[in-house]
Amino acid sequence: MQVLNGSDLAGALTAGFNCLQRYRDPINALNVYPVPDGDTGTNMLLTMRAGVEKLAQVDGATAGEVAFQMADGTFWEARGNSGVILSQFFKGISTGLEGKEVCAGSDLAQAFRSATDAAYKSVGNPVEGTMLTVIRCVAEALESSLQQGGNDGDVLSMWETAYQASRDALDATPSMLAKLREAGVVDAGGMGIVVILGGGFLHLTGENVEEADLELATAAGQIDPSQLASVSVESDFLDSSIESEWGYCTQFLIQGENLDIERVRAELGEAADSLVIIGDDRFIKVHCHLQDPGIALSYAVGWGELDQIKIDNMSLQNQDWASGHQERNAPKSGIALVAVAPGDGLAQLFTDTSGAVVVSGGQTMNPSVAQLIAAAERSGAEDVILLPNNKNVTRTAVQAAERENETQRLHVVPTATVQQGIAAALAFNSQVPAEQSLQAMEDAVAEVVSVEITRAVRDTTVDGVAVAEGDYMGLLDGDLSVVEDSAEAALMASLDRVDLTDDHIVTIYWGLDTDQEKTEALAGALEENVPGIQVDLVYGGQPHYPYFVSVE
Amino acid sequence: MAVRIVTDSTSDLPPALAQELGVVVVPANVVINDETYRDGVDLTADEFYQHLLSDPRVPTTSQPSMGTFQTAYQEVLEQGDEIVSIHVTGKLSGTVNSAEQAKAGLGDDVPIEVIDSRLASIAMSLVVVAAAELARQSVPYQEVAEQVRRNLSRTTTFFALDTLEYLQKGGRIGKAQAFMGSLLSVKPILTLEDGEVHPLERPRNHRRAMQRLVDLTREKSPAVRLGIIYSTDAQWGDDLRDSLSDLAPAEQIITSRFGPALGVYVGPRAVGVAITAAG
Repeated sequence: MQVLNGSDLAGALTAGFNCLQRYRDPINALNVYPVPDGDTGTNMLLTMRAGVEKLAQVDGATAGEVAFQMADGTFWEARGNSGVILSQFFKGISTGLEGKEVCAGSDLAQAFRSATDAAYKSVGNPVEGTMLTVIRCVAEALESSLQQGGNDGDVLSMWETAYQASRDALDATPSMLAKLREAGVVDAGGMGIVVILGGGFLHLTGENVEEADLELATAAGQIDPSQLASVSVESDFLDSSIESEWGYCTQFLIQGENLDIERVRAELGEAADSLVIIGDDRFIKVHCHLQDPGIALSYAVGWGELDQIKIDNMSLQNQDWASGHQERNAPKSGIALVAVAPGDGLAQLFTDTSGAVVVSGGQTMNPSVAQLIAAAERSGAEDVILLPNNKNVTRTAVQAAERENETQRLHVVPTATVQQGIAAALAFNSQVPAEQSLQAMEDAVAEVVSVEITRAVRDTTVDGVAVAEGDYMGLLDGDLSVVEDSAEAALMASLDRVDLTDDHIVTIYWGLDTDQEKTEALAGALEENVPGIQVDLVYGGQPHYPYFVSVE
Repeated sequence: MAVRIVTDSTSDLPPALAQELGVVVVPANVVINDETYRDGVDLTADEFYQHLLSDPRVPTTSQPSMGTFQTAYQEVLEQGDEIVSIHVTGKLSGTVNSAEQAKAGLGDDVPIEVIDSRLASIAMSLVVVAAAELARQSVPYQEVAEQVRRNLSRTTTFFALDTLEYLQKGGRIGKAQAFMGSLLSVKPILTLEDGEVHPLERPRNHRRAMQRLVDLTREKSPAVRLGIIYSTDAQWGDDLRDSLSDLAPAEQIITSRFGPALGVYVGPRAVGVAITAAG
């Protein structure tokens, strides 16, 4: 790919935005500098959204026009320290691509150079180890690549160089900034830049951004974009951050004539921290931190009309952010179960017998890895045993258990049916080591014969047997054993295949649309056939399966 | 001068055996509808379970008072005898406290050794009986106490309840909390570990629970003493005794009944086994 035309660039920026959306929560969680208030991801996202929305309105524009719209949109909506720097970044990109029909590799290098200049200039006191560093390192990597032949003018490999340079710079941020080191994180805003470039790269190489995992890491380990809990901050840092006075984040727009941005920067800089100022002689966007927001507003009102005033109490934001982290950092203890159950009765049964956290799902509604992990997280236990309770969910459970997790150990008892799951739950004992429970549960599962009755939704052949739509099938441990014209007949015929004795316990879990009286009649018939047998009836509430039956 | 063994009524020591061995049994109190009864003195097991099954208001219990212990101790001391006093687990009852306080009230150098058995019921009886037999051989009370401690460490108990409901209402469920579950009529098997109720298994019916009690007990053999206990169904006690009769000579097997004080917690249709393993 020699050049990016306007629509290539717009596509890449939009993909970057989508990727940012995906990583918003982890970025928020990483936000420790300058103020640990957990809003960097959100601020960058909302800032960038304003630019991306403008892109939708320009079809067939040149690369220069696309960059201009991005800069213009983000300027008006820029919020937060990182958002304002991001908007200046886009302003610089736009300056670098001004008048360009398309963006070649060399243009990209030039754009990042002017983006770096603009970003550094917007900040009162540039600090290394932040998103500024990440942007600058990208510019330097592109320039050096250009000197060495510019990847033969291939803009895609230049973009890849930029993306890789941003990742390297991000990894280095803790070594440059003590606050990051103490908290055990990389820079949040820097990660935002990486994510935007990464999303763009995936788009340009034709990959799906929706489920992208950029494999980013912080000191605590790999970051799963869907897992906020995988982002952690050192507890000492959290404690000291709560004790600090963070004051007010104050943002506004000054509208006037002959505005002197350099003077405003210098004079406000004496009263405020984290000062970021951008604009021209007619509009100035101010972001700053100070204990009394009134001071900045009183000063600014002398320059012209104030608009878009936004004041946030950062101490309160910090408390929310820190308590969220503390909750996730809290040490876990004990052993718990997570069970997948396809009906309200079965869910209640799992909770009642073992205190399991229940994930609803089953044959036709398989839960995701993320759902299982979230349920395990909710249990708050150090060891969690997963009961998939369906053949189709077993893989997912195994995958969830393979996820690296610092605070929890996940185990799987590969129950293929709900009936096996109940037997396992009864063998579970939270008072003994997990290994001991696992063994007892697996032994219990081996003792269970599972019968499932379901109805064919179309004509088909199962295991060589022709089944007509509407027939009731009896599955014995997963294999088709009988086909009958009623659920009850299928149940009785299936149980004929099991040598029932008076030693057996038969449990019938009746389904959502099943008649309780019919179930009771079945129990009566079984007790008559095999005197002395124990038949227990339990409401399962499962859809599609009139009966789940266990024989043990 | 001899050594006398004192225990409390939660040992469920059969009265005839207590008399034969000269064991002093201090009664716990059972409170039914604001009326206080002395366990085994004013209230028989039959009366108690009849009440339990007919009245939804669950009775409560209270430990013997310090005064009750002091009176019992004084009677023994006046005869010039020494005392080893063995009581129900301090994790579930304040009985040991009452006994200790009574001892302290009697002066500094009284020859009384108070022992927290960390057990209850028939398991405690096994140790009490062994102690009483040793006491007959005119050994110092400290030595009897030593032997009691050794026997306690070798004694295990398992019981199968019809329901955890009574244990829960009585607030003695402890670590068995997670074992609740009423939708399937499981028969929970519990043990006493470190003086607390611990859950072990949840068989689905009485027959399987009985089988598991037998299996768990056999895992602890060889036995020197065996105890069988039931609350309302004597036949179940006989069945267990038959299944385990090969583990110990008949004279070393005690069968008893959960008295009112423990009946409050185990409820009707409960059975249990205790075993002192060979050392």
